[in-house]
Amino acid sequence: MTTTHAIESSTPSSEEPIVEAGTESAVVLDGVRKRYGDVQAVDGISLTIRRGEFFGILGPNGAGKTTLIEIMEGLRQADAGTIQVLGMSPWPRNVALLPRLGLQTQKSAFFARLTAREHLATVAALYGLPATAAGPALKLVGLTGEADKRVGDLSGGQRQRLAIAGALIHEPELVFLDEPTAALDTQARRDLWQVLRELKAQGRTIVYTTHHLDEAEALCDRVAIVVTGAVIALDTPHRLVGAAHVPTRVMVPVGQLSTDQAGALPGVIRVTVEGGSVVLETTTAGATLAAVGDLIGLDEVQTRTATLEDVYLELTGSETRS
Amino acid sequence: MTAFAALSTANYKASVRDKTTVFFTFAFPLLFLVVFGLIFAGQEVEGSGRNYIDYIAPGVLSWGVGNAALFGIAFTLMQWRNDDILRLIRMTPTPLTTVLASRYTGALVIGLVQAVLFVGVALLPAFGLSLAGSWPLALPVLLLGVTAFLSMGVVVGSRANTPEAVAAIANSIMVPMAFLSGSFLPIDLMPAWLQNISRALPLRYMNDGISTALTGSGDLATIGLSSAALAGFTVVFGVLAVRTFRWSNNS
Repeated sequence: MTTTHAIESSTPSSEEPIVEAGTESAVVLDGVRKRYGDVQAVDGISLTIRRGEFFGILGPNGAGKTTLIEIMEGLRQADAGTIQVLGMSPWPRNVALLPRLGLQTQKSAFFARLTAREHLATVAALYGLPATAAGPALKLVGLTGEADKRVGDLSGGQRQRLAIAGALIHEPELVFLDEPTAALDTQARRDLWQVLRELKAQGRTIVYTTHHLDEAEALCDRVAIVVTGAVIALDTPHRLVGAAHVPTRVMVPVGQLSTDQAGALPGVIRVTVEGGSVVLETTTAGATLAAVGDLIGLDEVQTRTATLEDVYLELTGSETRS
Repeated sequence: MTAFAALSTANYKASVRDKTTVFFTFAFPLLFLVVFGLIFAGQEVEGSGRNYIDYIAPGVLSWGVGNAALFGIAFTLMQWRNDDILRLIRMTPTPLTTVLASRYTGALVIGLVQAVLFVGVALLPAFGLSLAGSWPLALPVLLLGVTAFLSMGVVVGSRANTPEAVAAIANSIMVPMAFLSGSFLPIDLMPAWLQNISRALPLRYMNDGISTALTGSGDLATIGLSSAALAGFTVVFGVLAVRTFRWSNNS
């Protein structure tokens, strides 16, 4: 049995300056469940995403992230629970809601044998927009130079960006992105971060999944960590890292400090030698660093504090092991 | 641009950029015309006093047009589900009727072009078809035939999930029906009981209607009955189509 300790989204966040999003809700899920045969893909998820919020859904493959997003989008019907998206029910197909949503899915869909511009012009028309909407959308994702290439001739990363352009062409209030940076190289990934930050600055709500924890930490106001269909943690990346008590690593070049000396310093819980460094794991980084400084100075000392990735691995690791 | 115009444009561009498919859509019925035209050149069907070409040309034309309408929409729906294009459309406010209307318009245009090309070739002296004055009445029958076979194609395309399945199901429907309805062999040569069975097949009515209009082999009542029967098949398969339609393979 796994025990879940979902941190309610209503946790006061008064001391957090980062969440400036409105109090109005973009998505409200209450007790949502979905089963495929023997697999309980979504096992009673309740959470609230505020308007203007950049909300990350993290979790291992098969955790139920995509199913959860598809239920919010109205592509799948939940077995149980209530779903409110921009104050409306997304299921059955809700034509009043659809123009306010934008979505990019893991498997991108393109009209056959069209160019990037023709594809986007077709998508624009499906939203009742003129073909000229294609130009700005291509520019937004940096594909202006590829506008007249057939979709089939684009690289994987370019197709991914074209799919994102299709999700944004009608300027939706709420954007769902399922692993939008999966096929992108480092530069394209950073470019997309900029696009996403601009969308957030315009007041749009973004719900997205990713396996890049550094990215989630850099972009998300809040993240939900989903394991086997349930939310096991939900908070700002900063507070998740703070609450996890993952030790800070202080690295000293080998030879300046013996492992015995290091082990005796205040706060040090473990000492290892890795890659030319004596690594001190400490829960009280300040005290340990001060002691190291007194002994050998801090010039060549490096520190590595816990990241969202450490917290994620700790949380998902313990959940999947139990 | 309206959603209808945009989808029709996308459909047209995708079609003309796939030249092989375009070529065979129009060449396929012509191939049958040439083959049967050569086999039965100058022969009369015993006891009827009519030339083979008068049976075969309208029959092969009806089959070719019906075949293209059924295959076209069935492949498109199957492919659009597999490529998630239907999911993309589903998430926009465009109604399903607009999507199907644009495909329907495309199928009508293809059917019309097929017919003009086919009759043009059949009129050549080598084949020797001569048109009766009632030939314009073939147009409403053609239109109703495309509609009936398109609605069958929606059912096939909604059930089948792979290109192989579409081809297998559609061929199992169209090939026996072509023989039983007299598209490839004069229906008057078939035993009476088989002729009665063919009354249950939409292609039989399309053959009768087109044949009457083009060659004057029947009267107005034949065309009226053919049109009514094709409209009836459309209603039946239309209801089935609405019931079997799926936006995606997993919902």
